Amino acid sequence: MKKNSPKKAPKNSLARTIEPYIWIAPSVILMAIFIVIPIGYVFYMSVSEISKAGLVKGFAGLENFSKVLGSSKFSLVLKNTVVWTIMVVVLSTVLGFILALLLNNKFKGRKIARAIVVFPWATTLVIQASAWKFIIDTDYGALNTLLKSLGIIGANVNWTPTPEAFFAWEIACGIFVTIPFVCFTALSGLQSIDSSYYEAATVDGATYFQQLFNITLPLVKPSLTVATVLNIIYVFNSFPIVWTITKGDPASRTDTLVTYLYKLAFYNGKQGEAAAVSVIGFLILLVCASVYMVSTLKKGDE
Amino acid sequence: MKKLIALLLALVMVLGLVACGSGNETPATDAPVSDAGNETPATDAPAASGEKVEVTMIAAQYGTQTADWWANFVSEFNAANENINLVVDVVSWNDIYTVVNTRIANGEAPDLLNIDVFADYQADGLLLPASEWVSEETYAKFYPAFLEQSVVDDVVWAVPDLASARALYYNVDILNEVGVEVPTTWDELTDVCQKIYDYYGGEVYPWGVDMTTDEGQACFAYYIWNNGGDFTDAEGNWTLNSAENVEAIEYIIGLVNAGLTNSDPANETRYDNQDMFGAGKVAMMIGPNSIPTYCSVGGYDVNYAVASIPVNGDNASVSAGVMDRIMCFDNGYTDEELAAVTAVVDAFYDDEPYSEWVLMEDFLPATSAGGEAMAAANPESAAWIEIVGSAKFYPTAKAEWADVKQGVIDVLQQALLGEDVQTLLDDLQAEIAG
Repeated sequence: MKKNSPKKAPKNSLARTIEPYIWIAPSVILMAIFIVIPIGYVFYMSVSEISKAGLVKGFAGLENFSKVLGSSKFSLVLKNTVVWTIMVVVLSTVLGFILALLLNNKFKGRKIARAIVVFPWATTLVIQASAWKFIIDTDYGALNTLLKSLGIIGANVNWTPTPEAFFAWEIACGIFVTIPFVCFTALSGLQSIDSSYYEAATVDGATYFQQLFNITLPLVKPSLTVATVLNIIYVFNSFPIVWTITKGDPASRTDTLVTYLYKLAFYNGKQGEAAAVSVIGFLILLVCASVYMVSTLKKGDE
Repeated sequence: MKKLIALLLALVMVLGLVACGSGNETPATDAPVSDAGNETPATDAPAASGEKVEVTMIAAQYGTQTADWWANFVSEFNAANENINLVVDVVSWNDIYTVVNTRIANGEAPDLLNIDVFADYQADGLLLPASEWVSEETYAKFYPAFLEQSVVDDVVWAVPDLASARALYYNVDILNEVGVEVPTTWDELTDVCQKIYDYYGGEVYPWGVDMTTDEGQACFAYYIWNNGGDFTDAEGNWTLNSAENVEAIEYIIGLVNAGLTNSDPANETRYDNQDMFGAGKVAMMIGPNSIPTYCSVGGYDVNYAVASIPVNGDNASVSAGVMDRIMCFDNGYTDEELAAVTAVVDAFYDDEPYSEWVLMEDFLPATSAGGEAMAAANPESAAWIEIVGSAKFYPTAKAEWADVKQGVIDVLQQALLGEDVQTLLDDLQAEIAG
């Protein structure tokens, strides 16, 4: 080819070099407009002095950050966010994985069971959270009504007597809506495992748990890793559940970083500080996700 | 290499999600500009070419009928004023602050804005004084007490478009059943609440309270105002930790702790309380004049009556007023453009459309003519017009109000969790007044 058409070659190779970029250009441009520019703007806002009407008044240096870090609320909110993320991610991963193991067995109605598992995931979070709020409501809640009609309780029980109780319910709701995602990621991993491994292990006399820890887990690990990283990011940034159920009340005891910054921006009119909180959250996520990815992928290679 | 690509992908996802999360507070780039969209910015009004003068307006959506009312007003106005093209965007309360801030940040502020707050825009030097764009004839119609609520540096910056006021609503049947009179003082209130509680064994909440992020500041105001306290003194200095305020907040927190209110005031909004009131689960609550409509729309059949908000001792009962406003942004108008703005405002406050406007969504009028029209249409509303005339308003003209509002809600919620009211208010006062 090359020898027969020496003149065409450079033109071809140029076109070939350019072509992929043309193909990816639309997505790159879209990402630049909808992701990179807004992020850049948030960084810009976080070091700017912004009036309550939203006008940028000038450079503020790190003043927004020092105000945020100096406020008594911030450490409380950060603690909540860490508890929220760890509890939801860890518990939903464990429960989702167990559910995936169950659904990987052959039984009658497996397809229906799998479809049902998707429901919580396929429903809008706001609707999910509203439903949970309704379930645990003291006066009209479905839970109280159910327990009363079953004769288990005599009078309405206040299921959320303390902020901690409220937060626990929010975590429960978070776990409930996150399980399907973990379950399906794990399930896809499980289905790709060759059954001959298990046959060989059974012949060698391995118990169920030996098989689970020595065959299943190592082979499902890559898909679980991806699910966990995505979950950390997603749960950390989750807004609708907390906002719908408590709005962070009382006194920020159930606030996470995202609801806190929303209130800062739109209830207190402190957009500069809100942007600073956003940047702090971004950096935390960046570090967590990178560390997790690097360490687990390294182990995977060994 | 794989590792690197995976890492990169993960980073991109982080970026993407952060961008989603942060989109909220970047109004300049990705928030929708307006519901109605694609109208030309005010500054492009082709006044010079001798064509139509465009007046743009953003109006808050009060209820289901607001958009229709404005559409009707606009078509009638544009038909009657051939040289003016009025464009009104009706925006929901959820979005309106973001929309307005976006427009301001992009240099596309509307000419007229109908919203609740004005001080933040005034502080940035974005508004024109009312005297420049409201005709004397229209100006004379407003209740003077209302205009005073929009004064900064002795200048009126906005005019009221409507108001609402609060009073005590009580379930007549429950009070009769228990055999108690309507409470007028806090002592009576505690007593009546206890009797209702005992009679129903806790199945009925005697008193509805809302200390949520939604409207906790209203709760704060009801009790401090009816204990002779206030947010500020006569000179406008913050007095958040006055002895009256501390006593008032300790009273209402005590009522909650005694179990005489709805179970979770930090998370149950006024609407939750209104629902429970409608269903006969809450016996008494302080609420706005729109509760009758709320109950009838919600299908509640409750036998209620209205009374003054209970006071401590012999203080005069104070109602809490809420007022929304119309303001004009300083977009560098020519005389012709300013005349067009004035024409729109005059047409809005013209007695007939304005009476319709006020009656439409169950609000109280801000002009004397509107008040007369309303009293004529519904004799019961006369009492409300009197109430709103004597109501106190939040100090929304002060630049610190947003912080104070969130601050007092936080104080109430912390007090519910057992913190000391005096300390909390001292801290808030120190934070606000510096």
